[in-house]
Amino acid sequence: MKAILSILKKEFLHLRRDPRLFPVIFISPILQLVLLGYAANLDVKNIPSVICDMDRSAAGRALIDDFVNSGYFSIEARVERMDEIDRFLDHGDAVMAFVIPRGFGDRRAAGREASVMIIADGSESQSATIGVNYATMIAARAAQSIVLESFERVRGLGVRPVLVGSEVRVWYNPELKSRNFMVPGVLGLILMIMTTVLASLGVVRERETGTMEQLIVTPIRPYQLIVGKLLPFVVIGLVDATFVITVARGWFGVPIRGSVPLLYALCLAFMLNTLGIGLFISTISRTQQQAMLTSLFFIMPQILLSGFVFPIENMPKFFQVVTHVIPIRYFFIIIRGIMLKGAGWPELWDKTAALLVLGTVILTLSVARFQKKLD
Amino acid sequence: MKALPLAFIGPVMRKEFRQIRRDARSLVFMIFIPAFLLVMFGFALNFDVKHIPLAVVDQDGSRTSRGLVDKFGTTEYFDIKAVLDRTGEIDGLMARERIRAALVIPPTFSEDLLAGRSPSVQFIIDGANAMSGTTAAGYAAAILQSYSQRVTLEALDRRGLGGAVRPFRADVRVWYNPELRSARFLLPGLMAFILMVILTTSTAFSIVREKERGTMEQINVSPLPPAALIIGKLVPYALISLASAHLVLALGWVLFGVAVKGSYLLLLLMMVLFLVSGLGQGILISSITRTQQVAFLISVLTTILPTFILSGFVFPVRNMPAVIQLVTYFVPARYFLVALRAIILKGVGLAAFWDQALFLAAFAVLTLALSVAMLRRGGRDRRTRRAR
Amino acid sequence: MPENSIEVKSLTKRFGGFTAVDGVSFEVGRGAIFGFLGANGAGKSTTIRMLCGLLSPTSGSATVGGFDVGREPDKVKTVIGYMSQKFSLYEDLTVVENIRFFGGVYGLSKARLASRLPWVLDLAGLKGRERSQTRTLSVGWKQRLALGCAVLHEPEIVFLDEPTGGVDPASRRRFWELINELSERRVTVFVTTHYLDEAEYCNDIRLIHAGRIVAGGSPRELKAEVIRNPILEVATARAVDALEALRGEPWVLGTSIFGTALHVSVADEGEGRRLVNERLAREGIVPDRVDRIVPSLEDVFIHKIEERAAPAADAEGAP
Repeated sequence: MKAILSILKKEFLHLRRDPRLFPVIFISPILQLVLLGYAANLDVKNIPSVICDMDRSAAGRALIDDFVNSGYFSIEARVERMDEIDRFLDHGDAVMAFVIPRGFGDRRAAGREASVMIIADGSESQSATIGVNYATMIAARAAQSIVLESFERVRGLGVRPVLVGSEVRVWYNPELKSRNFMVPGVLGLILMIMTTVLASLGVVRERETGTMEQLIVTPIRPYQLIVGKLLPFVVIGLVDATFVITVARGWFGVPIRGSVPLLYALCLAFMLNTLGIGLFISTISRTQQQAMLTSLFFIMPQILLSGFVFPIENMPKFFQVVTHVIPIRYFFIIIRGIMLKGAGWPELWDKTAALLVLGTVILTLSVARFQKKLD
Repeated sequence: MKALPLAFIGPVMRKEFRQIRRDARSLVFMIFIPAFLLVMFGFALNFDVKHIPLAVVDQDGSRTSRGLVDKFGTTEYFDIKAVLDRTGEIDGLMARERIRAALVIPPTFSEDLLAGRSPSVQFIIDGANAMSGTTAAGYAAAILQSYSQRVTLEALDRRGLGGAVRPFRADVRVWYNPELRSARFLLPGLMAFILMVILTTSTAFSIVREKERGTMEQINVSPLPPAALIIGKLVPYALISLASAHLVLALGWVLFGVAVKGSYLLLLLMMVLFLVSGLGQGILISSITRTQQVAFLISVLTTILPTFILSGFVFPVRNMPAVIQLVTYFVPARYFLVALRAIILKGVGLAAFWDQALFLAAFAVLTLALSVAMLRRGGRDRRTRRAR
Repeated sequence: MPENSIEVKSLTKRFGGFTAVDGVSFEVGRGAIFGFLGANGAGKSTTIRMLCGLLSPTSGSATVGGFDVGREPDKVKTVIGYMSQKFSLYEDLTVVENIRFFGGVYGLSKARLASRLPWVLDLAGLKGRERSQTRTLSVGWKQRLALGCAVLHEPEIVFLDEPTGGVDPASRRRFWELINELSERRVTVFVTTHYLDEAEYCNDIRLIHAGRIVAGGSPRELKAEVIRNPILEVATARAVDALEALRGEPWVLGTSIFGTALHVSVADEGEGRRLVNERLAREGIVPDRVDRIVPSLEDVFIHKIEERAAPAADAEGAP
């Protein structure tokens, strides 16, 4: 016990003595959160578009008005010829273009099928996909109302056109504010990056300076050394989490509908994993540089495969299976659950169990590797 | 102001090369890890929002309502994960994120339909996972619309009035990325992200390591001008990362069919500018920190999340608040991405992105100049301290 | 408590294809100052690390303080103190923080630490500098502080790995006074060094070269037994030329430069002196002095090494 306390005290002294470390550990998470919390805007509105009306008929203009009034598109220009569209799309000044071909109005009047062209810049595939979806939806709705109109005109058909409507309810985040999604995500990411990196460096630094040799020659047991080294990072992680949660609540107005103590407890369960990984990295690295690059190797896949941005169900089966051993995958669900959905133990016990099991395995592996030997 | 004696750069370069070569693991990292990550993510990731897990509460239970449920079940946009009896069960499943949307069909659905009234279904989406929220609602609306049309037309057919009205159709053309395969869109962003992180962190050690080991003092008392030190350290990393970037491009072409449509030389130019920017950032960090630990933390914190979120990789810069857009000016990947997409996917010339190139060049020069200034100040302090 | 603190039998350590320590055996009595001498890379540090339980032996065995280093390394660590080559202290901690830290790690009670703390400060001469950061101390002080931390818990056996590296001669002498004090208290001190003059301070020494022990005994025994042939010291300004001249001569059993003088090993004193003067005269060299000297340990060492090389040379160079 005394040994652990000695190591703890020493670690805190180290932290205090490095003037640069302090601001990096405690201030940067807040900065990151403020920056990134605002960055994502997932409601894609005002997609810059170009209109090319080669028909100039009333029917054509009516359709164009539908696009314009939808609010999804912002009209950058109206051009006369199709080749003028190139310029806008090439330079990235517009993502979509709507073309009404000549003869559109005449064909409509004659009751024959007419066509409208929707062009999208696929190199911005996200905006393009969404834009195309909106546009086809608008076109479909316009088509629908035309059908309705014609039904009105031709009475006595005895058929009433049917329109199944949908009442859309958005739960947990009624205005679909993207910050409510981003902020919990950034919390998880910052926690993971911070604790993994610090833990991976903790042991390697001593090995590089030679003080590790001095330590392992004493009667101190491996577990005491590990606990002493990792405990400060747990504290740092919790403090960081507190800062982030406070900013989330106070600045961004992200709610915390669930139990705060539970949130902290689960942060701990998560850190069991990240610290374990960090410790593992530090047992397989000989220099700080190696440790750092290796921790990158563990961190980057976790970010991309965690389900934060790229939905897991769209990944190939193999990768879906792999994500089961990515701790932050569960943590994201947990954070969103507690903060936005008011979820509690009954809903989250299985994710928690996953975190605990994973964490125990990782830590055990790392401790096993951590011999009190130099070779 | 001393001139830049090129003679000094040589020895620094050679030493740096030798050190890099000896640390095999780091070398492997710099060259192969970007390629490895690209391959992995290229296969794993896409932007499609499909297979949204859905729960269905069919309070009607008629053949008609089952028909509607079927429409949701057969589309690839939704995967029906649960068929529930009561709406009360939805919350629990959504909190667990087993489902992200729920369709509730009211008990009077088929009745209303038969009577020619327009029924309404409830569509619940998980707002917490806003990434797929609006899209899911959009899909649902589209499905319902086409269902409505089909029902109407069937009724018309039954009366023998089929084929009556077909208003118009929409022809969709997608340029540059015809199947809207997000792999093509993803790859430039992935490349920029992976390279940026690796570049900056690799060089973040270069100077600070010498400070920690004490060899920096040796350099400070030598006549080596700081500019030569920086360039000497920069060049080996630049060459290695250039090799790495080419490996990534090659793999992107072979495995994912992402070919370079535009001019290769332009691509090379932009790559070099980008690489130097990333390396410059790393060197700047290295020159202002005193321990490797802090250097690494800062480089990680200024590259991973900012590049991922602010470069336009996932979230379009255009949609960000003005203040944040200003911040993106300090993210080199942002410029590189525009140019990369233009060259690789659109095949356009410099005219389309000359401003990006300018910004990148400015960033590179700025970071390097600042590094030189930092080193010069540090060296001077040490010399005056010693003189006292 | 056994009479011998350390017993080593055929200890061997191989790293891949490289044998760092090859079948080393010796015993160290309680309270002795035991010196392990050799050039850099000879295997000293590897041996000491094995004895401390930091490395596992490839073969052979060793007992330290009654415990087997292969089977009970943890128990070994409870009875020893260790000072590494790099004086591993925490640079950013103050003197007293370092001492308290190691005290805590060794499990010293508050009371015991309270009494040992001033003792260590006194030993290191750091009274009044308790709050200085270790980073700011000069090498000599760091060395003594490191020694103090190594014996904080009053171990029976202390291992010192090249403790005087990079330290000025005055500090070195002080350091050895401290070692003597420890020895007087019946603490066994195991020192490795490549400074052969320091070996004179030890009770018992072993010379190690290329992983093998080439000579051993008390300093006096070594000098007496090992060197049967007289050694002449030839003082001349042109030492290098003289060396070249004498090296090839058949009656010269060995030569080496010692500062500005030559040490020449010959079969007979008088005859040797005559031959030396004759040979050098032919080169136009007149030495200031040609005297028989009492051999130093360095002479012993070089002699031993050349002895090892000689059989091989004979085998090769036999005409």
